Amino acid sequence: MLEFLQYLVLGLLVGGVYALVASGLSLVFGVMRIINIAHGAFLILGAFLTYTLWSGPGIDPLLSILIVAPATFALGWALYKVTIEPVRTAPMASTVLLTFGLALVIEATMGVIWGNNATSIRPPYGSDSFSIGSFYMPKAQVFGGLVAIAVLVALGLVLTRTWLGRAIRASAANPTGAELVGIKVSSVSALVFGLGTAAACTGGAIVGILYSFVPGTHYTWIARLLAVVVLGGLGSLNGAILGAILFGLAETFTSAYVSAAWATAFPYLIVFAVLLIRPQGLLGARQREDASAL
Amino acid sequence: MTSSPAHSSPAPPAGATRATGLASRWSDPRLLGRAVITIAALALMAFPLLSDDAYYQNMIILSLVFAIAASGLNIIMGYAGYVSLGQGAFIGLGGYTIGVLATRIEGPSPWVWVPVAGVVTMIVAIGLGLVSLRSSGASFVIITVAFLFLTSVIAINWKSLTNGTSGLTLPLPSWDDDIMNWPFYYALVLILALQIGLSWWIRRTKLGMGLIAIRGDETKAATIGINLPVDKIIGFAASSIFVGMAGAVYGYYLTFIDPRGMFGILLSVQVVLSVLIGGSGTLWGPVVGAFMIEPLNEIANNNFGGGNVRLYLFGGLLMLIVIWLPRGVLPAIEGLWERRRTAGRAGLVGARVDTTGSLSGLAISDRVAPSGVDDARPLLRLDGLSKRFGGIQAVDDCTFDVVAGSITGLIGPNGSGKTTVFNLIDNTIVPDRGEITFDGERIERLPSWSRAHRGLGRTFQITRLFGDMTVLENVVAPQRSFSWTQLGHIAVSGREARMAEDLLDFVGMRAFRDQKARALSYGQQKLVELAQILMLDPKLILLDEPAGGINPVLIERMAEMIRELNSHGTTFLIVEHNMPFVLDLCPRVHVLSRGSTMASGTPAEIRSDPAVIDAYLGDDFDVETEGEGAR
Repeated sequence: MLEFLQYLVLGLLVGGVYALVASGLSLVFGVMRIINIAHGAFLILGAFLTYTLWSGPGIDPLLSILIVAPATFALGWALYKVTIEPVRTAPMASTVLLTFGLALVIEATMGVIWGNNATSIRPPYGSDSFSIGSFYMPKAQVFGGLVAIAVLVALGLVLTRTWLGRAIRASAANPTGAELVGIKVSSVSALVFGLGTAAACTGGAIVGILYSFVPGTHYTWIARLLAVVVLGGLGSLNGAILGAILFGLAETFTSAYVSAAWATAFPYLIVFAVLLIRPQGLLGARQREDASAL
Repeated sequence: MTSSPAHSSPAPPAGATRATGLASRWSDPRLLGRAVITIAALALMAFPLLSDDAYYQNMIILSLVFAIAASGLNIIMGYAGYVSLGQGAFIGLGGYTIGVLATRIEGPSPWVWVPVAGVVTMIVAIGLGLVSLRSSGASFVIITVAFLFLTSVIAINWKSLTNGTSGLTLPLPSWDDDIMNWPFYYALVLILALQIGLSWWIRRTKLGMGLIAIRGDETKAATIGINLPVDKIIGFAASSIFVGMAGAVYGYYLTFIDPRGMFGILLSVQVVLSVLIGGSGTLWGPVVGAFMIEPLNEIANNNFGGGNVRLYLFGGLLMLIVIWLPRGVLPAIEGLWERRRTAGRAGLVGARVDTTGSLSGLAISDRVAPSGVDDARPLLRLDGLSKRFGGIQAVDDCTFDVVAGSITGLIGPNGSGKTTVFNLIDNTIVPDRGEITFDGERIERLPSWSRAHRGLGRTFQITRLFGDMTVLENVVAPQRSFSWTQLGHIAVSGREARMAEDLLDFVGMRAFRDQKARALSYGQQKLVELAQILMLDPKLILLDEPAGGINPVLIERMAEMIRELNSHGTTFLIVEHNMPFVLDLCPRVHVLSRGSTMASGTPAEIRSDPAVIDAYLGDDFDVETEGEGAR
C-alpha cells in the first residue's frame, strides 16, 4: 500500500513535468494547427543549456530556468519567423515534415556542441530523499514537479489574465475573426511558438536533473508528448494537462509493476488506442467541416 | 501587318508543317522524358557489366531499395495524400522476415523468402491501413511514427524471435564471387520495375482516381460514390508489397539485420524525402528523388563521418523542400516548361458562362423514368431522425417525405438544422437515432458511397470541388457503382468523358473544362458541382443553397436546369433561403424549426401559415416585393 502511494505521488510529479511540456505543444497546435515534432528536441536543448550553466558557472539547474526560459523564448520566436511563417497556410502534413526536419537539425547541432555521450545534471540534492517513516520521495522529483506546476500556473495566468492571453485564445478559436478585431495573428503565432519553445526548454531543465540524456533522446520525448496531447485532445490545454497526469501515472505504474523494457512501448500503444477509439481525445472537440472554418 | 494569328491562317506548305511538327515533338516534355527514362534504364541495366566498382554498385543497390520504397509510398502519400513516416518500417519488416526465416529454416535458398516477406509486409501494412480509416492528416502522421517506433521496440524486446539488439546474421550468399552483387542488383531492378508498373497502372484506373479524390477531400469523395476503405486498403497493400520484397533483398545483401539498421527513423525520413524532392504524386519523381538522395547520404557518411552531418543533410533538406519546393523537382521543371509554352495566352477564368445546353441530346439517365409526381410513392422518407452535438439538439425527431418525381423545398431559419439533415441523409454525419428510407430501402446504416450508388446525389452549401483537378476531371471523378473488377477499369472511359462533356455543356461550363476547379468563381463552382453529381445518375438530388451567392441571371438558369432535370424524372430536395426561388420552384415545401418539421404543404399554405410567418418569414413577408427588392 505504501509502495503504491509512493508510485502515485511519483506519477503525479512526473505528470506535472509532462503537463508543462505538453501544454507548450498543445498551445502551438491550438493557434497554428502545427504539430511541432521539434518539441522534444527543444526539451533536450533545454536540458543541455541547463547542463552548461550548471557545469560551468555552477548555477543551480532549477534556478537556471530564469535564464533558459527567456533565451529559448527568443530562439523559438526567431525560428518561427524564419522557418514556419513562410508555410503557415501549408497543409498540416507538410508542416509536420518541416518541424521534423527542424528536430533533426537541432539534434545534429546538439551533437556537434555537446557530443553524443550520456549527460546528466547532478545538483547537491540530486541523490537525497525526503522520508517519512518508510515513505521515500527523491528531492529532485519533488522540486522538479513543484517547479513545473508553478511555471504551468504562471502560464495559465498569462493565458487567462492578460491581453496577450486573450489574443492567443482568440487566434486559436478563430484566426480570421481575430484579425478582424485587430489581432495580428502572425505576431501572436510567433509569440506562441516562443512560449511553446520556452515551456519545452523549461521542462528540459527539470528533466535534466531526473534522467540522463543524449541528443537522440528527443525521439522518446516527442513520442511521449504526442501520446499525451493526443490522449487529452489536440489543441486543448486542459486536455494536455489531464492527459499528462494520466500518462505520468500510467507510465510510472507500468514500469513499476509490469516491465521497464515494455514500458517504452506504452506511449505508442496509447497513440494507437486513442486515435482509433476516440480520435478527438478526452477533451477535444470535433469540428464541423462542411461549413466555413469558424 | 494584316496577317491573322497563325492558327487561323490557311494551311501552310507541307514542309513547314513537318518542320514545326518535329520541333514541337522535341519540345514535348513527355517524349523527352520517355527518352531520358529509356537511357537511364539501359544505363542501370548495363552498369554492373561495365564496372565492378563496389562503391558505386553499393550506392546503386541502396538507391534501388529507396526508389522502390519511395515509389510505393507515393501511392499512399502522393496519390491518396496520407503522409507516412512509417514506410521505412516496411523495409525493416521485409528484412526481418527473411532474417528470421532464413536463420531458422535451413535448406531452401533465402531467395524463397523474398516473396513471403512481401506478403508479410503487406499484411502488416493493411493493418496500418485499417487504422487510417479512422484518422487523417496530422493524426495519421503521428500514427505512422508510433507504428515505426513500436516495430522497433518489438524488434528489440522480442528476443526469442529477433535476437534483440544483437541482431540476426544471414547465411552468406552461395554463388560465385565474380558476380557477387549481380543477383541483388538485378533482383532489385526487377522489383523496381514491378513497383513502377503497379504505380503506373493504379494511376490510370478508377482506383487511382478514387485515391486522388481522397487526397482532395475525403468526405466529398465518399458522397460521390468512392468506396473509401476499399480504395485505401488496396492503396496500402500496393504501397508495401514490393517494399517488403525489396527489404528482404536488402537484408540478404547486408547479411546482418538489427533494429537500429532496419527500423531507424532516418530510413523513413530518407524515403519521404525522396518522394518529396522528386515530386509527390508523379510516377517518376520518387524514383528520381531516391537516386538523388542516396548518393548525398553516401557522401555524408563516407566523406563527413555520417552522424551529425547526415542529420543536417536530411533535416536541412526536409525543411528547405517544404519551404521552397513543396511540389518537388519534376513538377517544378514541368511547370516551368508549361509556363514557357503557354506564355501570352490569356486564361479563361474570366470568361462568361455559356448559355446552357439542352438535356434532350443527353442520355444521362438509365434508371429514372419521367413518371411525374407520384403521391403514393415517397422516394425518401425520414422518420424520427435525431442528432445531438454536445448540448445542442441540432435535429430533433425530424420526419418528412420527399415524393418521387417532385421538387421539394426545405426551408427554415438559420440554425434550424437543414444542412445537418442533409448531412444525415448522405451520411456525412451519423444520426443518433431515426430511420432513413430511400426508394423502399432502409439506408441509415449504409456508408455515403453506397447511398451515392443507390442514386443519392448531394451538393454542398460551400461548394466542395477537388481544387487541384480540372473541371472535367471533377465531373468524371464520381463512381456510380462499386465492384472489385471496376477498380481496375481505366479511370475515364471514352463514354464517360463524352458524358461529362455533355453535362458540362448542359450547365454551360464546357468552355472551362481544362481549368483548375480552384480558379473558378463560386457560382461557376456551383454549376460544376451540379454537373459532377449528375454523373452519378442520381434519382434524388439534394441541393444545399443552389441560389446562394450567385447572380440573378445564374439563379434563373439554375431554376431552369432543375425544372428540366425534373421533367426527365429526377427528384429534388432543395435547401434555400431565397424565398421567391423556393416558393416558385417547389410545389411542396417542408419547414424546419429547431431541428424538427413544423409545417409541410404547398407554397400557398406555407405562406399563410401563421406559425411559419412567426418563426421564419416574418409579418411583412411578401414574395413579390422580396423578389424585386432583394434580388
